[in-house]
Amino acid sequence: MEYNGGAVVAMVGKNCVAIACDKRLGVQAMTISTEFPKTFQATPKTYIGLPGLATDVQTLSEKFRFKVNMYRLKEEREIEPRTLAHLVSSTLYERRFGPWFVEPVIAGLDKENRPFICSTDLIGCINFAKDFVVSGTTSNQLYGMCESLWEPDLEPEDLFETISQSLMNAVDRDCLSGWGAQVTVITPDQVITRTLKSRQD
Amino acid sequence: MFSTYPGQVVVDHPVKVPIEHRFDPYVDNGGTLLSIAGEDFCVVAADTRQSEGYSINSRYVPKSVKLSDKTVISMGGCYADCLTLTKKIQQSMEWYHHAHGKTMSTAAVAQMLSIMLYQKRFFPFYSWCILGGLDEEGKGAVYTYDPVGSYERESCRCAGSASSLIQPFLDNQIYFKNQVSQKKTLTLDQVLRITKDSFTSATERDIYTGDYLELFVITSKGVEVQKMDLKKD
Repeated sequence: MEYNGGAVVAMVGKNCVAIACDKRLGVQAMTISTEFPKTFQATPKTYIGLPGLATDVQTLSEKFRFKVNMYRLKEEREIEPRTLAHLVSSTLYERRFGPWFVEPVIAGLDKENRPFICSTDLIGCINFAKDFVVSGTTSNQLYGMCESLWEPDLEPEDLFETISQSLMNAVDRDCLSGWGAQVTVITPDQVITRTLKSRQD
Repeated sequence: MFSTYPGQVVVDHPVKVPIEHRFDPYVDNGGTLLSIAGEDFCVVAADTRQSEGYSINSRYVPKSVKLSDKTVISMGGCYADCLTLTKKIQQSMEWYHHAHGKTMSTAAVAQMLSIMLYQKRFFPFYSWCILGGLDEEGKGAVYTYDPVGSYERESCRCAGSASSLIQPFLDNQIYFKNQVSQKKTLTLDQVLRITKDSFTSATERDIYTGDYLELFVITSKGVEVQKMDLKKD
């Protein structure tokens, strides 16, 4: 889990959610790419963040893209975030004794535009949180930042600032994460993804 | 019978073999400490929970000790080592006072502590020390140490089990990192609020931090102690 490095955080705001990740890809101490974001769009209003072993990040993002597309073809509607969470959980538990080395984070709005976030461990145990979820090599630092900075019912602009500050200051204390950040804010009307320039070390 | 490999001897009677008895000399008693230096004050804060594994030894064992009117030391890690190290420092300070007729300055204590820690380089004190106080000019000073004596003067630092949780928050609030630069100095009230917020956040997410928070505020008037409740779960 600490081979490639990475950090993902998601937070709940007032009728909105935000998910953010760093952009570093490394091989232990050596950074080999600074364009490796770890959040992927599952549906127009749901994003999934996948920090951990990079090969598993790529494989699982493609597996989930396939499963979400099949769900859409069969059900003729988009998958709800809560259902996606259970889909991720069972996909991970299928490999209980030879797990995928990722600890996913899911953030989205359900069909009534209610915010939803959750995270799972590498074998699929879901943590349904009401405030924020963190994952990756920087999880301790992110816990400290989010616990101090988060407050309930933040508007989208304030939520963006809060999640950005939490991620940027946390990854500055972790050598395996950083090199830029990508923040996505999901509201009922629009989804805005912003790239942040942070310390490039 | 059994298949043997070269060097193996098969016997039909009990054999005396030396058994290795191991003793692990270190215990982690957990806890978190932090210190912030201001313009003319210094705040040293530590929680008071002492744990061993998943058990709590005590809810109130102070981690900080007042060394003089200008200096407070706080230590986390193995409590036994911290206790002995504190005694050594206090005794050395008393010898100094008898020899020189004055109290040791914060910078002098800082260097002495570094030397004391390095003297046990090959069987270290398992203690994470933070020394807080006022320097000779009356400005706040924080000296941080690793277990073998490497030290540096800083504006703020946290150590202990929740240090990885609190340090980025301090970077953001004290050094204004990743924020539009605001070179303003912080007042004592602001620093106390940041300290209390840090500990309440750390208590939520770290199992070794909690119970009570003891704050030592060092100003030119002396050392004032405040005690605050933290979550006890």
